[in-house]
Parts: sequence; C-alpha cells; structure tokens
Amino acid sequence: MEKYGIGQPVRRKEDARFITGAGTFVDDITRENLAHAFVLRSPYAHADIGRIDTSEAMAMPGVLAIITGADWIAEGFAPMPTKSAVQTKIDGSKLNQPPRHPLAIGRARYVGEPVAFIVAETRAQARDAGEAVEVDYEEREAVTDPAKAIAPGAPRIWDDIEGNFCLDFELGDRQATDKAFEDAGHVVTLELRNQRVTAVPIEPRGAIAEYDSATGRYKLHNATQNVHANRAAFAGVLNISPDELHHIAPDVGGGFGAKNSGYPEPPLLLHAAKKLGRPVKWINDRNESFQSDTHGRAQDSKVELALDEDGKFLALRTATIGDIGAYCWTIGPFTPTAGSARTQGGPYYFPAMYYTSRAVFTNTMPLDPYRGAGRPEASFQIERVVELAARKLGIDPVELRAKNLMPADSLPRKTPMGLDVDSGDFPKVFGRTLEMSDRAGYAQRVEASRERGLRRGFAIAPYLECTGGSPKEFAGVKFAKDGTLTLSVGSQSTGMGHETSMPQILAATLGLDIAKISYVQADTQATPIGGGHGGSRNLEVGGSAVVTAANEIIGKAKQIAAHLLNSSAEDMSFADGAFADVKTDQSVSIEDVIAASLEQARLPGDMEPGCLDTGAIFEREVISCPNGCHAAEVEVDPETGAVQVVGYWVVDDFGTIINPLLAEGQVMGGIAQGLGQALLEEIIYDPESGQLVTGSLMDYALPRADDLPAMEMEFFEDAPTAKNPLGVKGAGEAGCCGAPPAIVNAVLDALAGDGVTHIEMPLTPQKIWRAIAEAKT
Amino acid sequence: MYEFRYHRPETLEDAAKLFSECGDPLFLAGGQTTLPVMKQRLASPSDLIDLGRIPELRGISLSGDTLTIGAMTCHEDVARSADAKSAIPALAGLAGDIGDPAVRSRGTLGGSIANNDPAADYTAALVALGASVHTPSRVIAAEDFFTGMFETALEEGEMIVKVAFPAPRSAAYVKFPNPASRYATVGVFVAGTREGVRVAVTGAGPCVFRAGDIEAALEGDFSADALRGVSVSPDGLNSDLHASAEYRANLIGVMTRRAVARAS
Ligand SMILES: Cc1cc2nc3c(=O)[nH]c(=O)nc-3n(C[C@H](O)[C@H](O)[C@H](O)COP(=O)(O)OP(=O)(O)OC[C@H]3O[C@@H](n4cnc5c(N)ncnc54)[C@H](O)[C@@H]3O)c2cc1C
Repeated sequence: MEKYGIGQPVRRKEDARFITGAGTFVDDITRENLAHAFVLRSPYAHADIGRIDTSEAMAMPGVLAIITGADWIAEGFAPMPTKSAVQTKIDGSKLNQPPRHPLAIGRARYVGEPVAFIVAETRAQARDAGEAVEVDYEEREAVTDPAKAIAPGAPRIWDDIEGNFCLDFELGDRQATDKAFEDAGHVVTLELRNQRVTAVPIEPRGAIAEYDSATGRYKLHNATQNVHANRAAFAGVLNISPDELHHIAPDVGGGFGAKNSGYPEPPLLLHAAKKLGRPVKWINDRNESFQSDTHGRAQDSKVELALDEDGKFLALRTATIGDIGAYCWTIGPFTPTAGSARTQGGPYYFPAMYYTSRAVFTNTMPLDPYRGAGRPEASFQIERVVELAARKLGIDPVELRAKNLMPADSLPRKTPMGLDVDSGDFPKVFGRTLEMSDRAGYAQRVEASRERGLRRGFAIAPYLECTGGSPKEFAGVKFAKDGTLTLSVGSQSTGMGHETSMPQILAATLGLDIAKISYVQADTQATPIGGGHGGSRNLEVGGSAVVTAANEIIGKAKQIAAHLLNSSAEDMSFADGAFADVKTDQSVSIEDVIAASLEQARLPGDMEPGCLDTGAIFEREVISCPNGCHAAEVEVDPETGAVQVVGYWVVDDFGTIINPLLAEGQVMGGIAQGLGQALLEEIIYDPESGQLVTGSLMDYALPRADDLPAMEMEFFEDAPTAKNPLGVKGAGEAGCCGAPPAIVNAVLDALAGDGVTHIEMPLTPQKIWRAIAEAKT
Repeated sequence: MYEFRYHRPETLEDAAKLFSECGDPLFLAGGQTTLPVMKQRLASPSDLIDLGRIPELRGISLSGDTLTIGAMTCHEDVARSADAKSAIPALAGLAGDIGDPAVRSRGTLGGSIANNDPAADYTAALVALGASVHTPSRVIAAEDFFTGMFETALEEGEMIVKVAFPAPRSAAYVKFPNPASRYATVGVFVAGTREGVRVAVTGAGPCVFRAGDIEAALEGDFSADALRGVSVSPDGLNSDLHASAEYRANLIGVMTRRAVARAS
C-alpha cells in the first residue's frame, strides 16, 4: 500500500499517460457524424466590413453552414461582458466597454478577429470554403501602440469611445507619496516596458460541441482552464440557463492564462451544433493561436523611487499605460489596474505608495491574464528601479535591497497597497539565496569569464506576490463498495499535477492508500461550483477544500467507528488511518469504517449507506502572499550580444510544501517563462499596418532546454500562513515574478562597465550589441 | 493542405518520367520545408514525388580525398558518419547542429540545397569547400549552383543525385543562430583548400556568398589576427526583426574570426 504524507515527493500519477501519448485531449475525441469548423479571421487590423458573399463558398463540396456577424446578430444573441473586478473609473463612472460578440460586427478591429464561421464535413473543406468567402473590407488606419492610441488625433477604434480609453485607476495615498517625493534625498526614475507576450501552450485551443434535441441540452468538450465560469459566459451569450450546458475540459495541454477566457469559438460551435443537429469540432492551428490566443503583459510604466540620504526607501510612485487590445475581453481591464497594483513595491518596506494606470484600446489581440497577471510586471518595475537607484547612488545593489526589505518583525503588515502580508521572513530568504549563490567565488568566476572574452554579471531579485482567482472551491468525495474513492475538485490542472497532489492531501489526511483514489476535475456535472485554474489558487482553495471535506469525513466516520466499537464519538481519536477509543484502546481502521459506511447493517440507525460521501466548500477570506528570492549569474558575449544564464538560485516561501517535486516543477516552468520574457519573447505588431509580425515560432522566440540554466532551489517552510488550513501560499506564478528582474539585472550588471544602464525586454543579442555600441559613442 | 497525389518511384528514370507527366509536381525529400509550407497552403503541388526509395540518392562514401553524400541522406546520418567525421569534421558538425533531432532525422542534404534558404547552413559548406552538385545529366560547381534567394541552377524537374566534397586541409563552420528559428542569422564556413582559403557566408545576404576581402586577408596568414584590418560592409545584407544589416555585418566579422581560430 502506498501511504504518503504531506511534504513527500510523490511522483506524478498522470505522467505515464501523458508521456506515452495516452492522454485524451480535445482533438483525441471524436463523434459519429462529426462536422468540422473553420474560423475565417480578419487579415486586417482595422477595416470596415461591407458585404460578405458566401454564395460560392456555400456551394462548395461538404459545406454545411456559414455564419457571419449579421447572421449572429439576427439570432438575438447577447454580447459577452467583461468580468473584470475593476469596473469603474477613478471618477466613479463605469468603464468604457464595447460589445463583444464572437464575430466582428461591421468592423474588424485586430488581425485574427473572427469574421465568419464555416462548418463542413471535413476540416479541409471548411477551410477551402473559408477561402471562397468574399468579404468586402475597407481598410482603416490602425493603431497598435497604446501611447499613440491615447494621443490626440489617434484613429478611433470604437466610434462611441473617445481617446480609445477604457478606464483609469488609482490606489494608495497620493498626497503622502507626493510629499515623500518632495522631501526625498534622492529620486530615481525609470521608464520601462513589460512587453507583450503570449503563452504558447503546447496544445492549441479547440472544442467539440454537441446538442441533444431530445433534452434540449448542450455539451461542450473544450480546451479551457475554467469550465464553470465559461459555462456561465457562453450560456449568457446563447440566452440559455447554465444547467443546459454541460462543460467539460478533458486533458488540457497547458493554459498559463491563455485558456482562461470566454473565447468566441465555443458559442459559435454550440450554435452550429444545434442548428445542424450534429456535433461540431474546431481546432486552432499554431499560426491562428498566435493571432487569437489572448496576449499578456503589454504595460508601459514610469516608476519613481524616493529615497532618503542613506538609501532608505520613502515612497514609490508608478504610472502605467496598459494595452488591453481591441476589447475588454474577459478580465482585460483588471490586469493593468488592480492586478498590477497590489504587489507594487515588492517585499520592501515603503511608508507610502501610489499607483495609477490607464487601460487603453488598440487594434491588437486583446489581453487577458498570463501567468502572474500583473504581479510579474510589478516585480519587474520595482526591481529595475531599485537596481538603477543602487547604481546612481553608488550603493551595492545587494546592500540596498537588504537594507530595505520588510523586517520579519514588521509582519503582519498591510502594505500601502492594502496587501495583507501575514507571514514570511524576507531577510532570511534573501540571505539564504545569497549564500547559495557563492558570492565568495564570484570574483574568480568573473575573471574566468573575462579570459574567455565574456562579461559576467550577477543580480539578486527578491519578490513578493499574491494569489488570485475565484476565492471559493469545492471538493467532493464519493466512496465505492470496492474500497476505491473518487475525489472531485472544481479547480483544474492543465498539466500541473493535481491528479497527484490533491489525492495526496486526501490520502494523507485520511490515512488511505493514494492508489485507491481517482481524481475528477473540470466537469460542470462533477462539482457544483469550480474556480478552475488561475492565480496560483489550487492548493490554497482547492487543497483547503479537500482538507475540509476530509475533516468532515473523519467527523462522520468517528460516529461509525464508535458504533462499531460500542463507544461514543467523543471518545474516538483518529491517527494513522485508525480510530481508537481513548478509554479502551480498542481500534478500527478507516478502511473498515468505510466498508461499514456502505452497509446499513453496520451503521448506527440514524445513518445511511453512503453517508461518508461528502461535498465541502472552502472560501478564502484573504489572498496569501507567496514570496521568495531569485539570483542569477549570466555571461554576455560583447561581440555578439548573446547571453547565457550560467547560474540560478531560488529560495521560495510557498508556506507548507505539499509535494516538493511538483513545487519545483512549478518554479522551473515559471523561470523558463520568465527567462523567455527577459531574453527572447515578444509579440510585435507592425506599427503601420497592424499586421502581426511574430506570428509563428520561426519569429516568436520561445526558450528551449539549452537556454535554461541548472537551477538550485530551496523552500523556506518556517512561515506557513494561517489564512488556510494547509498553510500554503501558492506556487504557480512565482517563477515568472522573480526571473525577469534577476536575469535582466544580471545582464545589466555585466554591462555596467560598458556604461549600459537600461535595455528594454527582451534583451536580445542584437539589442545588447547595439546598447554596447551606443554606450561607446 | 490541399489535396495532392503521392508517388514513390524506385528509379531515377521513373521519378523523372513522373515529373514530366504531372501537372504541377514537386519532389519530396524529408518534407521539412515542403510539408509545413503545404500545410500553410502557401504551396499546392498537384503531385508529390517521394524520392525516398531511389537507391542512387542514398549513402555516404569516401574515396581518396572526396567525400560523396547522396541527396537523400539526412542530416543526422551525415553528423554520425565516420567518413564525414574523419574527412571533413566541420561538415559533420554543421549537420549535427541543424534544427532539432526530428528535423535532422528527416531533413536531407538534397532538400536543403535545392531549397536554398538564405539562412540554411549547408549552402555555406558547399561553397567554401568547392563542392560539386551531381544531377543525372551534369555536374554543377557549388558557386554556380546557388543563383539567388531560394533559387538554384536546377532545371525544371532536374534532380540532385549527390554532392561531392573535396576534403580541405582544415575547415570550420561557426553559426550565430536566429534566437527563434535557430537557422543561421549568420554562418561562416572557412576552408583551407587546395585552391587557397575560401570563406562562404550564409544567413547574411539573400543568397550564400564568398567573402573576397576576407579570403584575400587570410591567404597569406591564416589567423584571426590577419582579419584585424578587414571591415565588413552592411551594404546588401539582410535586415529583419532579429538582425539589422549592421548587426549582420558585425556578426560576419566575429563568426569569421572564430571560425579561423577553430580551423587553424
Ligand atoms: C524546425 C526546423 C528547423 C530547421 N532548422 C534548420 C537549420 O538550423 N539550418 C538549416 O540549414 N536548415 C534547417 N531546417 C531545414 C531542414 O534541415 C531541411 O534541410 C529543409 O527543410 C529541406 O530538406 P528536406 O529534405 O526536408 O526537403 P523537402 O522539404 O522535402 O524539399 C525541399 C525542396 O527541395 C526539393 N528537393 C528535395 N530533394 C530534391 C532533390 N534530390 N533534387 C531536387 N529537388 C529536391 C523539393 O522539391 C522542395 O522544393 C529546419 C527545418 C525545420 C522544419
């Protein structure tokens, strides 16, 4: 029997399936009489749509239906509203929100916007027909840069929205902050960009919709990371009740936020399935994914740091322009506003902070959460300005940081951004990271690099972030006669390993064999609610729901155990999978109690077979604060500008570690994506035409294995949070918060002698080479 | 991908005959360029003529100073070939650094040079080593073979059978990869040959080219020091998202120095 406790490195149960190609992803699912859909997308960034002539396409072999924007509107379907938690401007008025339909209505506003939906017997036929649909486009001037979009005279993307302005936002004490700046000994200002990137999950988006005319119900298998929320969104569009839609995500190959949204294609598929009385499948290809998966980051910020004469931080002031693309999409306006505000200032002690931002429309694919959604941006902002301050003030960047970290005894503390930092020891975590990075041997390594013609640089980047996503989660446990049980949770793994970690929690709490537990997720019929995947929330709320359910089960099981032992529930103790009578020392195993719970004859009179089946909801009151510290060493080749990250050290405080293997995997993946942002990745639109320049993997540079350093990782577990029963703080997005500043600052450290002080991400070889050349002149 | 007909002839004659009979045919080698382009619907041949079953197109052999590689030999086989590694280690190394394992196990020498992608690696090796391209009817010197961007001296329907590489005294290839595609942003192949020093540059211009000034500088003194006074002009070089002409000019200098240092 495999018994595992909390904190043990249980190997992933799901990996055998994934590694041997035995997973079931949307495209693995087929149906009899399946039809296939193709989305005709706008080739223009901004164009009026005149007549759409579908006659030739309709007559082509196998074509079953073509839906245009006009057809869609004629059905009376509703637009999909944004669910941004921030809905009002600073002046209290409502945000400017254009209507979002699955198809462009009268005007296309970004390259890749769906213009028509074609269903045919085969995918190739649908695509062939797509090419034969004649659309009269009248091209308009496009604007893809957010600063230009809000400048006077910019082309208007929405006729009734002036200045392409969605909303503005502020947080913090403006007056106190301004005052601190007036009195400051030093002020350091940096303008920087968190460039637009996209997640590129290995599995592209796709779905199969079915409609049962007998029951009037829809079924949707969808590569999504959020079945419940998107069920509600799609039902709202189709004017049906959410119970009429059964929404299931089978195995999903990565999400990172890009599968979070209520996308246009599923409602189109559902409608087509009903209209045709046939199941309809659609799978995006890689090029379409670059155009039509939501993008992330895209923030331009001015960051100002006020320090006293001794280098103590006095205040932080950040002003951001957040590009949200052509629509508010699902939570587009949230990320550059509250999403980026909460963790401003990172783990440093700031007496005052003020954050303000504007969310702006452009002729680009809309933005939605991408791993960290605002926290990596904030972390990059503070760490870059601190690094610059150290250089300007002539203070060692390590010292300047150490001096300004929130001291352990200042916690719990509410930051000026309202973030409730309850636990942690930032100086200790910082110190341990430094220790791991072998500072003593650094000078020698610098020399060794120099001998090979390379510049070496080092940087340390402490971070503080927070969890997010839906605060409520459900866990259900059902026991079967054969001794197995099923655990269903409303959070969702898109590859992170919940099939292992969640049963591990249940097995550890109940003292059961993990192999007996099967796991169900991402099915609106399996759990009454579900917050899906996002905001590093699974262990925090999903794991806590499992513990809550397990404790309820133990409570009920004690009554059964007492009955079996002729004792009373109050006298029952539970440990190591057995119930014991504290008075008589007689005991009964949980397996036996479970078996008894399924037989009326062995139960107390007031209990029924199946009485141990339990559904529990956990609701978090306050988000928790993962934190930690990254340090990176890099080598830069000054002749080519190429960077190699050669050393990487991390200490993370995620509270209690449930499974170190999985936690390390999260950190590594986050660092890989953070390294991508720092050095390689950027979504670029042509500023004139609005065409997507980086529309394939030939141009959009993703990190590969040999780009990544060996990473040394440790966890600091001495400060679990009391905000949830597991004491966990969330691990999924932290890597993305620490890696960009650690790597970028290390590169700039390497180039300090060349006089280079700032390069915008990604720090590509060409940009580095150019910066060195320009610093010389 | 549009519909097409698929053929797999077993002789050169049958392949040529098929080609002449089909409406808009394409030869298929490893498919690493052809198939993605077809999937994106940027090419729509009526017929694909798979060259994989024709024995004359296969194999690697070393005879005297000449290494001969069949057109259908995949990059991985060249990288692992004992003959290639002993006669021209720089060539084996170049092949082993193309793309990724899947690409190397499918992509072929013939397909690579027939395609003549401006950023392909092999082109530089052929030109620097003074290789000759054999077709069923003639032998074409590498320098005459690569005629322009994605263009070669091949006639319509003419097949590459093999390429013969004279082994150099010494040679090295150094490539600066495009961060996204890992094709050559700039690749420089230097070779000390019987006819003197030859330097071929790929990735930098619309088509592989010999760097005359650099060759001249190296002729008397095959060392990185000899290159000190040589400057590379950005005129006529490619400029794109990842590398401007100026940056490419710089990379030509750097890659050449490194290649010379490695070869000498
Ligand atoms: C992901 C990826 C990464 C890559 N990275 C690199 C890289 O780093 N460096 C590099 O140099 N290349 C790279 N390539 C290219 C690859 O190595 C192949 O060389 C190239 O795709 C063509 O070879 P093929 O055998 O696949 O030819 P195919 O795609 O089958 O054919 C290409 C063209 O050549 C013609 N052709 C093929 N064989 C013959 C013949 N014997 N006679 C006449 N015409 C013929 C075909 O008709 C077609 O027009 C990469 C490709 C991919 C997909």
